[in-house]
Parts: sequence; structure tokens; C-alpha cells
Amino acid sequence: MVRKIFCGSPEHPISRRGFLGTLAAAAGTAAFADMTALQVLGTPAVSADLRRNQKRCILLWLAGGASQLETWDPKPGAVTGGPFAAIQTVVPGIHISELMPKMAQRIRHTAIIRSLNTRNGDHGGGSRLMMRGRANEAGLAYPDLGAVLARELGRPGSPVPDYVSFYSATEGRYNVTPGSPGFLGARYGSMDLTTSMVPENIRRPSGISDQDHLARAGLRDFLSRGFERGRSSDSLESHNQAYQRVHGIMASERLFDISREPQRIRDQYGPTLFGQQALAARRLVEAGVPFVRVGRAWWDSHGHNFETHEELVPELDHVMATLLDDLEARGLLQNTLVITLAEFGRTPNINSQLGRDHFASAWSCTLSGCGIRGGSVYGRSDPTGNRVIDGEVGAPQIFATIYRALGINHHKNYHVGSRPVPLTDPGTQPIREVLA
Amino acid sequence: MPLTIRTVKEINRRDILFSVARLPRSSRLFLGSSDFKVHDLDVSQNNPQSRELVGHTSYVTGVRLAGQSLISGSYDGKLIWWDLENRRATRTIESAHRRWIRGLAVSPDGTKLASVADDMVCRLWNTTTGVKLHDLAGHAERTPNHFRSMLYVCVFSADGRHLATGDRVGHVKIWDVGTGRQVGSVEAPILYTWDGVQRIRSIGGVRALAFSPDGRQLAVGGVGRIGNVDSVAGPSRVEVFDWARSQRLCEFTGPQGIVNRLQFHPQNDWLFAAGGGSNGFFMFYHTARRAMIQQGNLPMHVHDVTFNEDSSTFYAAGHNKVVVAEIRNSGTIGERGA
Repeated sequence: MVRKIFCGSPEHPISRRGFLGTLAAAAGTAAFADMTALQVLGTPAVSADLRRNQKRCILLWLAGGASQLETWDPKPGAVTGGPFAAIQTVVPGIHISELMPKMAQRIRHTAIIRSLNTRNGDHGGGSRLMMRGRANEAGLAYPDLGAVLARELGRPGSPVPDYVSFYSATEGRYNVTPGSPGFLGARYGSMDLTTSMVPENIRRPSGISDQDHLARAGLRDFLSRGFERGRSSDSLESHNQAYQRVHGIMASERLFDISREPQRIRDQYGPTLFGQQALAARRLVEAGVPFVRVGRAWWDSHGHNFETHEELVPELDHVMATLLDDLEARGLLQNTLVITLAEFGRTPNINSQLGRDHFASAWSCTLSGCGIRGGSVYGRSDPTGNRVIDGEVGAPQIFATIYRALGINHHKNYHVGSRPVPLTDPGTQPIREVLA
Repeated sequence: MPLTIRTVKEINRRDILFSVARLPRSSRLFLGSSDFKVHDLDVSQNNPQSRELVGHTSYVTGVRLAGQSLISGSYDGKLIWWDLENRRATRTIESAHRRWIRGLAVSPDGTKLASVADDMVCRLWNTTTGVKLHDLAGHAERTPNHFRSMLYVCVFSADGRHLATGDRVGHVKIWDVGTGRQVGSVEAPILYTWDGVQRIRSIGGVRALAFSPDGRQLAVGGVGRIGNVDSVAGPSRVEVFDWARSQRLCEFTGPQGIVNRLQFHPQNDWLFAAGGGSNGFFMFYHTARRAMIQQGNLPMHVHDVTFNEDSSTFYAAGHNKVVVAEIRNSGTIGERGA
């Protein structure tokens, strides 16, 4: 008969199967026994709990600067308006570009903010501003949105990454990747996927079987636990957590594999890379990843703006609508915030190449889902779109709104040494009109 | 034969002009505009003031004359016939196309109108009755990279028997006007730049077409390969084909920008090209000798051009301007199929 007592003595032989089985039953090692996070989280109790409580965020980053006039704030008939018409959405009084008929039917999930004045028309500077909600100070590197949400919404010991970023185009990539954890530290940095849909270098070597991999992990944990008896150390716990996270991340490769989705789901998102990455984002948040950025580059339409947007906006419309539908169908939308944002918008003036140039004085973003009063519009630009005439907001207000929507106190302080550093600058208020 | 091109008039505008037609034996122009109107403008006047024809609800991208009627097409998908004396619409086809109309052409005998749009269909219409004659369908609705395609241009041959259409990805189809069947095709893929690495989007397409006077050659214009698809900062490009054999005969490049208009000389093989990038340009090319005769700048990005009867003058319409230019030592480039 095989004993199931393990003390290291040769008088108490360790059965490999029993050893693994015991470990599998131990708290915190469930992820080792079943290396597919989705399967673990797919148990009704766990998934229901996630759906109820955990907040998540998907940022659709429209890199290069999408035109607000060809998306969320059309000005048909104005000298700056361009050729596209505006269409009525399902919410009376709200019109968006005719290039977005699907979102027009789903605007009840979405708040449009039309009054961004962020004063930075530079790709790099604008990206940093709009990913951090503020400009860096000398000697103080602020974390970006993904790092903050990884910190605030991530679960201790989570087997899945907390901050994932997709950015496949080469243009503008280094404006936002790698993600910036700033003073929060590397623990909250991003997992960046640029050349592949699947993280690289996370697979176990081919010469090691699953069983051996599990056995190694189990042995390491066993030895560590033995060492910890009678000792108390943050670094020991951190060390163990790091190994758990590594194993978890190795197991999470399957989360990125959209071929595991039914074909009809994959068909719904469509064949483009943006659609595929949005589907991956849904899989990730469903598994508990708090923040995923899907970067869709490159909207910088200095020439042939209307044809560029004729190409890209229907794709955005389709992908965003599909993502919202999918999240809603899975009961995730009420706890998932979906954002469209960029480094800036585009000029109302049409240049000689039928293009629009950089413009940060009156542009738009959207917030959908968690904590948001859908079917609302905040702020106005003038009839030509040249300036904000009502409800001007900047990056700080947008971030305060995001944090509030996700249930995060935007007044809370981090500490850098002894210095308190608030999430948003003192006095910053969220846009309450778009909050549920 | 050397050419001298002299700008004799520049008329500044607040709008962008996409298309121009000229009333024969006059300086009276009809201009399709970004302000959604057609403008009736006599450029011989000292301070020309346009009279407006109002009826479209988006950019007017095509204006062509058929007898005593002017026909306009727009991004709103409508075709409108206009009485020029009263400047009133006499016929409106509301849903001539379900997506944005990009261009028009009228057959040399004035009996047929061709319209092309981003629903990827060319339609032939009776210019007198407005009855649709044929749907010329065959251009793919999606690009190879799964995005919506666009159908930019159409042109009739001098004998009116054939029509050519050109799209976003460089496909050109030639049709029998009588039967509506496709009878040929040529490919100009260099005119379409898909950037799947840096910017993951595209630019370009076949923007201009012209048949040679004998109908055997077809010139195709646009912009060549672009490194940065944020703008049309690539070499303007024209390719000339023996279309029946699908054989490219020659190609030439010019100033940075995109060719928006082509027209063959009816008597001596010159090929005229005009377009723009940040500014405008024109080119005269000798297809038989395969040599550039003359090229130069124009003060605006040019979208369309029309000539007078003896080819001593051309009228260019584009970004915020109309330009009237005189040509010396030219042959006769008359208006055909345009």
C-alpha cells in the first residue's frame, strides 16, 4: 500500500502519483494540475464568480490618430465635413458616421466624448500622454493605464498575465510598446505581442514531457515549502509567486490560440488581424486578464484621408460591434470596459492630398460597458469641428472617468518612497455624465 | 515637337473641384464640387461668379455633358440630369448606385452614360431616357486583404464600342458596350500599394484611363509603389497596354503624386497626364517614341482636365483652384468620350 505521507524520510516513501495528487489538491497549485486557465475558470462556480466581481478593460488603441469627423463626431455639409454622411443611431439625437452602421445599432452600450482637447499633436508625446493620463515629471515615471489596472484589478497569484498588449504594425510601435509600468515596477509591465499572436519563449522545451514539467514544479514547491517552515520573508513569497506566475503564463499560451474558438465565432470577428486580436482579447479577459490593449495601426491619413477611413472605419465598426456583442452574450460586458482612444484626432481642414493632419484640439474617444452610461454623448465641438465649445476635457479627466467606471478610487495614493502620488492629479474630476 | 504651356488664368476657390466639363465652343465650365454642388462658371469673365446647381448631398465627383444635358454623379449615389438653360434638375436617379459614385463617362455619340461606384459595378444608361442598359459587374468587392475595394474610373473608346473600368487593386476590365460583356482585362498591380507591415493599410488604385485613337491601346494611370502610405508620396505612373493581348507596351513615371486624368492625342500619339500630390503636375508623353515631351507643375492638385476643340487650351480643376492654360505647338487634342 502506498503511503501518502511526505516528510523526506526514507521510511516514508514518496509515491510520485500520490505526490502529484496531493500537490494538485493543495491551494495555489490548482493551476499546475490543470494547465489550461480557461478550463479552470470554466467551472461554473469560478466563472460565475469572475463574471460577478472582476473588472476588466480592453483598450482599442487607434494608433496614428483616427479622424473624429469620420467616426464619432461627423460634420456633414460643413466645409470641413468631408463626403460622408451622418447616420442616426438607435438613441434619438445621436448621430455617428455612416461608416459605422453596426455601432449605430449598439450605441446603447457606449458613451461618446467629443470634447477632448489634449494639446499634444505629436505621435510619441501624445501617445505617452494618452496612455498615462498625464505627462511625466522629472524624476518620476508614471505608470500607464495597463500597469495601473494590472495593479488595481489583478488578482494575487493569478496564473494569467495582468497586462497584455497586441501591436503588430511596425509604425508607431515604440510609442506605446513596451508598456510602461513606471514607478510600479516591472511586475506590472506588459506582455507585448508584436510579431506573433502567441507569446514567444513560453513553451516548455520539447525534451520535457508534461508529466516531468509538473513533477519539477511540484518538487520545487515542495522543497520551497520545506525551507519556509519557521521562516517569514516577503522575498520568499515573491519568489514562489514568480514561479507560479511563470507556470501560469506558460499554461496561458492556449488563451492566445484563437483556433480553439468555434469557427462561427472566428468568422464573426472576421479574417483581419485586428479582428483576430480582438477575439484573443475577449478570451484573455474572460480568463481573468485585467487589461488588454489591441493596437490597430496606422490611421495617420495625411493623404487620401477619406479612402483610408473608408478602409479602416468599417473594420473598426465591425470588430468593435462584434466584441461588444460577444462580451454581452457571455455576461462579461457589465464588468468589462471597452475603450477607443488614440494619441489625437485629425484636422478638420482637408489638405491638398485630400488628407487630414494631426489635431488635438477637439477630438473624440468612447467608453463602453462597465460603469458607463451607454447611449450618452458628452461635450461638443463647433460646427466645423475646429474647437471645443462645451465640456472640454483632457487626459486627466478621461483617466479619472476610466478609473471610476472600473470601481477604482482615482484619488487614491501610491507611494514613491515617502511621497504620496495620487492616481490622478488633485482636483481632477471624472466625467460624471457618462458614468452609470 | 516642343510644347509651351502657359497659365493664363487661375481662379481661386474655397472648395475642392473633382470634375470638369466644358460646353462646346465656349469657356463655360461645369464643376463638380466638395460643397455638394455643381458650379456653372464662365472662365472668360474677368471676375467669374459661379451659378449653382443644387441637388446632391455629398461630393460631386462626376460631371459630363450629353447633348444639351449635363449629368452629375456624387458620393450620395445619385445621378442627376440638369437643364442648363434653367439650371434645374430634370431627372434624378436616387439610388443609381448603393455606394459612392466615383466617376462618369459619356460615349462619343452622346447616347450612353457610364457610371462607376464603390459598389464595384459600372452601369450603362441611356442619356436621353435615363433607362439603365447594362450592369457591368466583375470587379471584386473586397481587396485580397479583406477590405472594401473601390471602383474609380471609366472611359469609352473613340468608336464607342468599348468601355474600360479600373479599380483599387489595379484590375482593369474592358467591356463590349453593346452586349455588356467583358472582353478583356489588364493588370496594373504596381498602382496599388498594400502595406502589411508598417501601417497595415493601402493606398493607390487605377485613377485614370484612356483609349488610344485607334482603340488598341489603353493607358492606365495612378501612383507607383509607395513606401509610406500615409500620403501619395510616390512616383506618378502610367502604363500603356495593348489591351486585346493584355500586353504592357510601355510605362513611365513622373513627378511625385498620383495621375488622375489621362487623354490621348487624337492624331499623333501624345498622351496627356495630369494629377498631383501636395501640388499639381502635367505630362505630355510620346507613346510611339516612348519619350517624355514635356512635363511641368500646376499650382494645385489636379483632379480633372478638359480641352477645347483645337487643343490650344486646357482647363484643369482641383484643390481650391481652376486653372486655364494655353498650349503652343500642339496637335489637336479634342474632347472624346469624356
